[in-house]
Amino acid sequence: MEGIVLALFLCLLLALITKYLSVPVIPFYILAGIALGKTGLGLVTSDVISRFFSDMGLIFLLFFMGLGLKPERIAANRSAVLTSGIIDLNINMIIGFVAAYALGFSLIESLIIASAFYISSTAMAITSLIENRKLMFRESETVIWLMVFEDLILIVFLALISAGSQNLIIFMMKILGVLAVLYVLAHYGKEFLISILDRDDELPILFTFAAVLTTASFSMYLGIPQSMMVIALGVAFATTDPDAFEQHARPFKDVFLVVFFVFFGVTIDFSGGVNWFVIAVICLLAIISKLISGILTGIVIHGSALSGLEIWGNTIGRGEFSIAIVVLYSSSGLVSPLVGTTIAAMVIVTSIIGSFTAKYSTSLRRGIMHLGRKKASPHRMHLGR
Amino acid sequence: MSAMSLRSLNLPGVGTKYEFETDKGDTVAIFFTKTGTIQMYTLQKGCNTPSAAEMTPVEARRLGNILTGAIIEADQESVEIAFSALADLRVTIHSFLIPRAIAGKTIEDLQIRAKTGATVIAVCRHDKNIINPAPTFVFETGDAALVIGESDQIRMFEREIMVE
Repeated sequence: MEGIVLALFLCLLLALITKYLSVPVIPFYILAGIALGKTGLGLVTSDVISRFFSDMGLIFLLFFMGLGLKPERIAANRSAVLTSGIIDLNINMIIGFVAAYALGFSLIESLIIASAFYISSTAMAITSLIENRKLMFRESETVIWLMVFEDLILIVFLALISAGSQNLIIFMMKILGVLAVLYVLAHYGKEFLISILDRDDELPILFTFAAVLTTASFSMYLGIPQSMMVIALGVAFATTDPDAFEQHARPFKDVFLVVFFVFFGVTIDFSGGVNWFVIAVICLLAIISKLISGILTGIVIHGSALSGLEIWGNTIGRGEFSIAIVVLYSSSGLVSPLVGTTIAAMVIVTSIIGSFTAKYSTSLRRGIMHLGRKKASPHRMHLGR
Repeated sequence: MSAMSLRSLNLPGVGTKYEFETDKGDTVAIFFTKTGTIQMYTLQKGCNTPSAAEMTPVEARRLGNILTGAIIEADQESVEIAFSALADLRVTIHSFLIPRAIAGKTIEDLQIRAKTGATVIAVCRHDKNIINPAPTFVFETGDAALVIGESDQIRMFEREIMVE
């Protein structure tokens, strides 16, 4: 228990500092975990309580993602979502997979690394668009839809991971069945749900917490993993009052997710046999492959490679979902600890570099434009920030 | 072009976007973000770098008041509300800083209602609000009084009471 308190206190300090400097906080939570855990001082070890809290963090992260997925919205923007999404998926999965396989990881490990390599951090991308005041850029919309597409793909990955040895078709039918039941419940119970959410006592928050936990606990009986259950719950609840659910689930997500990140750092072990060459190659490629997919998307969607640079700048950071993939996979026991360390390092490096590219992508673009224009025009346009 | 075409769009994870193009080709976009702040972007025609301002909801409402034409002075502002259902009843709420001249006097002494028809509905003193002050309420310098009435009554208040 003292371990969690110490870890949370350190995270609080880090959160204060990083907010002040406006850099993403996730890599620092992981670094704090590394410093306190196995690799570092050994002050904190993971125990039953921390594992429960971490589990909650993951569950609420996925519930939140489900709430944000509104199928009808995606259908309305199909072409924009699909084109950029498919470019991003193919390029990054292929580069990630080939690189990992060539570096000596097994087939399944390479797939895990490729998935974590592909999926950018939605939280970081969105925060960067807001904080760097880029919402009006036309590329921003592309980035936002890209994140939605990645979330969808993540669900497919999670389903495939968790199917394990089950018959895939039966497994998918089961998931669809659960989703249908939850949809019907949300549809016919809509007024009841909204009447609960509208109250200003403890009921809305208690209900949200209990609903998520109850749904997750049903996974045992149905042979469907918790992750899929809570995403399905989120998608179903999104048809009622998603904003209210977000508001009531946010405190749990925010706190438990910090525990999740820091204990991910605690449990990974950099001290024994880390291959720094592998890590360096993966990190470098993680940045380059998003550059390639970004530029291609920019050319295809906006007809401009410079637009691609902007997309790249905001999608370099890998974060919460990459770690979620590793954590969910490692529980299957199929992967070596090396996968965890590699992805941890990739998240830390890409998210820190990503925060700088997100901040300076506009200047970079302007710089390139100036170079191109210098010969054509002697005037230097003054462009304020 | 006739009325401006306002485009509203829900951006997953971000919030709601409103965008419109002016007759002269400039673009204005407003984002109500999920973090609770409001960002306003303006993009001049022919330029490709927008400029942005981030506002709290209070600041955004203030900007809204300016844009709808309500008068705003440094510390004194006024809002006019029209109730179309009540035969176009127009009510103005105006804040006034109490000058030294009327400090120490009560609402009764000043005969505010009799002289102007307007009503003092709240007084802000040292960041505390006194709602519906009694007639015996004594003004102090530095108080900010919120006065409600029709625009004529507010003007009367300004002329009759504030200069006393």
